[in-house]
Order: sequence, then structure tokens, then C-alpha cells
Amino acid sequence: MKVEYVSPFAEASVNVIEMLLNIRPERGALSARPQIFTTMQINIVCGITGDIAGLVIYGMSMATADKIASRMIGAPVVTFDGLAASAIAELGNMISGNSLSLLSAQGYHCDITPPTIIRGSNVKITTLNVPALVIPMVLPDLGEVEINVSLQERMTQAA
Amino acid sequence: MAKRILITDDALFMRVTLKNILTQNGYEVVGEASNGVESVSMYKSLKPDLVTMDITMPEMDGIAALKEIRAVDPNATVVMCTAMGQKNMVVEAIQAGAKDFIVKPFQPDRVVEALQKLLAA
Repeated sequence: MKVEYVSPFAEASVNVIEMLLNIRPERGALSARPQIFTTMQINIVCGITGDIAGLVIYGMSMATADKIASRMIGAPVVTFDGLAASAIAELGNMISGNSLSLLSAQGYHCDITPPTIIRGSNVKITTLNVPALVIPMVLPDLGEVEINVSLQERMTQAA
Repeated sequence: MAKRILITDDALFMRVTLKNILTQNGYEVVGEASNGVESVSMYKSLKPDLVTMDITMPEMDGIAALKEIRAVDPNATVVMCTAMGQKNMVVEAIQAGAKDFIVKPFQPDRVVEALQKLLAA
């Protein structure tokens, strides 16, 4: 997987988190993931289709999800209910959408699917033949969000 | 009389956020649709003054819903409100008749200014 697919996600995450949560996240070092990896407690899964296709998974702890959702909603989240889940999912949707705008400036045109949330830290995800790269983001006071990017360019073949 | 708005977004969080912004600024939210199909059917029954429209949604996306609403009512005022800010998406929406295009995340003022401009008359 090319790093040029990943940089837009890192850049968009910083922009979206700054605007939405009013904090400046710190970006950690990029690393490769084995093809099978274990999820964190809360995972927002966004499908990407088009010139580049695959999955982007935003993982975080329950405590971090609660804190992010509280800040987005403007009131403390007591139980992680439908509104909190929807806020967290929307964070993933906004980062993915903004990333695609940056990718389209590089000439890759893609679309995203509505986000899905997977809860549970013992889930194993296999991205088959596409390796995942991970960008860790540290959000001051809120915790860490891991961005797993697993994308592949679609080969366009001449008939 | 308060202007009547129909909100369209699959995310409950966005519907709540938009509803708060709009109500606090004197608009009446007459309906909340969670996909394109609901939005088109609610448009027909509610005849709102303005529709906010997300793009990435299940059942029917916001571009298809925009086209259907404009086919039902060529004067419909629809404002896109989406995380998908690519140029080709903006061009497609504007060509299909959208009156403005707001990229998420947004500041509340951005939404209020767009509505004030469009509903000034």
C-alpha cells in the first residue's frame, strides 16, 4: 500500500479534530499492521470505494469514545447510547470525507459508505491481501485514536 | 412566521446538532429524514421552505434525493450538508440544483448564514 493514500487521512484527522473538538492532536509514527489484528473497544469502520478501495477503521478505548462524544454533544455521556454512537460514527465519517477531498486533489476519486461501529476489544479483523498501516493520534485530555488504513488501488484494465 | 426546515441526515447526532442550531436561530424544524427516500416523501407531504441534505446515506443518497425533490418541485431550496467536499461532488450537486454546499465539520454560523441568505425574501 502506498503511503500517499495514508497521508490524506493523517492530515484530515488533524483538521477535523481541531475544528470539531477544539484541541490539537499529536500525530505518532506510522507503522505497518499484520493482516490480522485485534480491534480496540470501539471501532468505526468506513468503507472506501472508487479508484482506491478498502477499509479505514478508527479505533479507540471506551473511555476515549465517551470523552469525544461528550465534547461533540456538549453534555457528558453517561451511557454510550445511540446519540453517542452516532457522534463517534460521524467523527469517522467527517475524517473519511475530508480525506477523500484531499485524495481527489491527487487525482483519486472515491466514495465512502455510511460508517459502522464494532464494539468489543477481542474482535479480530483480517484485511486479506491488503496490509494495513496505522496512524496513532494522541488527543490531549481525551486519549488515543488509532487510524487503520487498508486501501488498494483498483487496477483499471483495458478491454 | 418561522421558516420551515426539513433536515436530512442518517446520523442522529447530526440531526440533533442541526436541529439545535436551527431552532436557536428562529427556524422551525418540521421534519427529520434519515435517508433520501424518507426525505423525498417528507418533502412532498411537508412542503418545507428549505431542505438540508447529507450525501452519504443508506437507501438513497443525497444527490439522488436532491434530483427527485427538484423533479417534484423545480423551485425547491436544498442545501447540501456533507463530509464529502470533493470538487466533483460539489459540481454535481450544484448542477442538480443545490443552492449551497456546506462541508462538515462546520461552525454553526456557516449554516445560519447560508439559510439567512437563501430565505431572506
